[in-house]
Amino acid sequence: MSAEDVATSGGGHRPTEGDGRNVDPRVGILEGEAADQTAPARRSEAEGAAPFEVWRMVPSGDGDRRTDPTYYDRPAIKEPVWIWSVPAYFYVGGAAGAANVLGAVAQLVDREGMDGLVRRCRWIGAVGGGLGTAFLVIDLGRPERFLNMLRVFRPTSPLSLGSWVLAAATPAASGAAALSGAGGALRALADAAGLGAGLVGLPLSGYTAVLLSSTAVPIWQETRRTLPMLFVASAMSSAASLLELTGLNRREEEVVHRFGLAGKIAGMAAMVAVEKEASRVDRVGRPLREGVSGALWRSAKVLAGASLGLSLWPGRSRARTVARAVLGTAGAIAVRFAVMRAGKASAQDPRATFHMQRAGRGGREVTGRPATAGPPGSA
Amino acid sequence: MTATGATSATHEVFGGQSGGGAPRPKGGAPRPKGFFTDTTVCIGCKACEVACKEWNQLPDDGFSFTGMSYDNTVDLGASTWRHVSFIERPVPLSGQVAGQGSFSWLLMSDVCKHCQRAGCLENCPTGAIVRTEFDSVYVQPDVCNGCGYCIVGCPFGVIDRREEDGRAWKCTLCYDRLKDDMEPACAKACPTDSIQFGDLDELKVLAGGRLQTLRERGVSEAYLYGVDEASQPGTEGLNAFFLLVDRPEVYNLPPDPVAPAKRNGSGWASMAAAVVAMAAAAIGAVVAGRNGSR
Ligand code: SF4
Repeated sequence: MSAEDVATSGGGHRPTEGDGRNVDPRVGILEGEAADQTAPARRSEAEGAAPFEVWRMVPSGDGDRRTDPTYYDRPAIKEPVWIWSVPAYFYVGGAAGAANVLGAVAQLVDREGMDGLVRRCRWIGAVGGGLGTAFLVIDLGRPERFLNMLRVFRPTSPLSLGSWVLAAATPAASGAAALSGAGGALRALADAAGLGAGLVGLPLSGYTAVLLSSTAVPIWQETRRTLPMLFVASAMSSAASLLELTGLNRREEEVVHRFGLAGKIAGMAAMVAVEKEASRVDRVGRPLREGVSGALWRSAKVLAGASLGLSLWPGRSRARTVARAVLGTAGAIAVRFAVMRAGKASAQDPRATFHMQRAGRGGREVTGRPATAGPPGSA
Repeated sequence: MTATGATSATHEVFGGQSGGGAPRPKGGAPRPKGFFTDTTVCIGCKACEVACKEWNQLPDDGFSFTGMSYDNTVDLGASTWRHVSFIERPVPLSGQVAGQGSFSWLLMSDVCKHCQRAGCLENCPTGAIVRTEFDSVYVQPDVCNGCGYCIVGCPFGVIDRREEDGRAWKCTLCYDRLKDDMEPACAKACPTDSIQFGDLDELKVLAGGRLQTLRERGVSEAYLYGVDEASQPGTEGLNAFFLLVDRPEVYNLPPDPVAPAKRNGSGWASMAAAVVAMAAAAIGAVVAGRNGSR
């Protein structure tokens, strides 16, 4: 039997059903720190029970394993556990944030003339925020505990700050949207809520990029200066594309067109900048060039570029407006998924972490002081 | 054997400097606790892994063979809080006489580092992850909602979510045992005292002594990983630090880890600039639209 057979036979031993502890309830009490950790019912299909890839190399062996070692090429950090709903939230949350901002500005500058735009912005803010919250909740391991997000306020955690921002923006936009048609005092209240939504819409449109870069994932950490620009620009074109699909009047359409155009141009520039920042260490930028994440990234570029091209096309046509809105939406969604997939690929590559830190982009970059990273005289 | 007892036994066997033995102050707050894992005496018996599983009543995480290594545990995770790495090197360790050819084993029992600047704790949005009175980092299972943000916050790939369970789990430094004045299960079970538990300041003295002894014996590669702020500025030091004899990457440890929050200032600054630009674009677009209508 070759090593491969052993590896793929699942170890040969099929564990019996149970909670994976082998504690006889007649003689043992389950009260350890992890006594209530749920184990899967079918042990043989447990996480980690799947056969691993056969390990072929000797760590720290000869050749480049001596100069560029890993531990059997195993990942050095854990892969993000987030599912599709998280990048989906990045998209709807970003669109909601940018729409809140545009709506508040339109309300301040030309409340009467742009009433339709103001209302639509509020609705995008409300629906985007609500849908985004739902997306975040279903990603939780314990969805019923989602309110724990508002249990503390932790400035070091962009997720904590973002939860508060989302918790403020969504009700504000919803209230403003619902009361848009009201008169008198209610209208004043709606306008105040609209302004508030616009204010928190600013961080809502971009904090998710800071959330990603405040991690140990090499490609996210390395792009912490450019990723926020990409996310904000993408939020602008997301919101503009959604608005363009609704029936705006001509003047409003002009406003949305300009806002979206700015976002699309900035987005293209930001994509190039992200690539550049990520590739300062070759290994770190790799997921943007290879694999599923690379393909997604390239399609995001093509879609966003096509949308930009249609936006720059002179003259007016409803069909073209719809086309650029659809392309813009698809591009914005693709870019969020590309960034998520790139992070997962980056976390799986131990050399991305090691090379980045060896290139002085670990603790040294912030503290200015090197870490002890090897036998005396080795590094 | 108490924690203090463990350290004095080590003194006898390895001739380290004296430093332990001070009784725990009665009454007042406990002193910071931690692990000093001396990888040069680890024999790879995995007693720590077993003791940890048993004491904490962790479920198994499947049984399988990796095929080419004695390491069938693979990595730390939600249900694996101690993990022994097996590193086979076709190079000798200085000061060691190899039986045949040039070869050496490196064995290391890995664990949560209970970082001074803990990425997991700083990322936790629910307050589930706290620093205890023993200066350890602890996840409260009754608060954790499984958002997964600690998992990407840890620069060591320690903490993980158990998918069937939905919450994040990691080493607790045996919080329950510490409260009863007992040393953690892994340190208790370790037959070679490769894992030493105690007051952090005493462990540091002990580790310094051990390092000196090894160097005197010709093990010139020995060094301490993460022993203090100076040796690992990105984390400001690890409460569970290690004595290693090869580069950190060989043990799957990052060479220069950093707590993510330490560097997110530039991200916030960049986001602030971007949203100001967005607001300006919105104002420009709306104002141009209004003017155009006149
Ligand atoms: S090693 Fe990871 S899990 Fe442990 S305290 Fe540090 S950041 Fe948290």
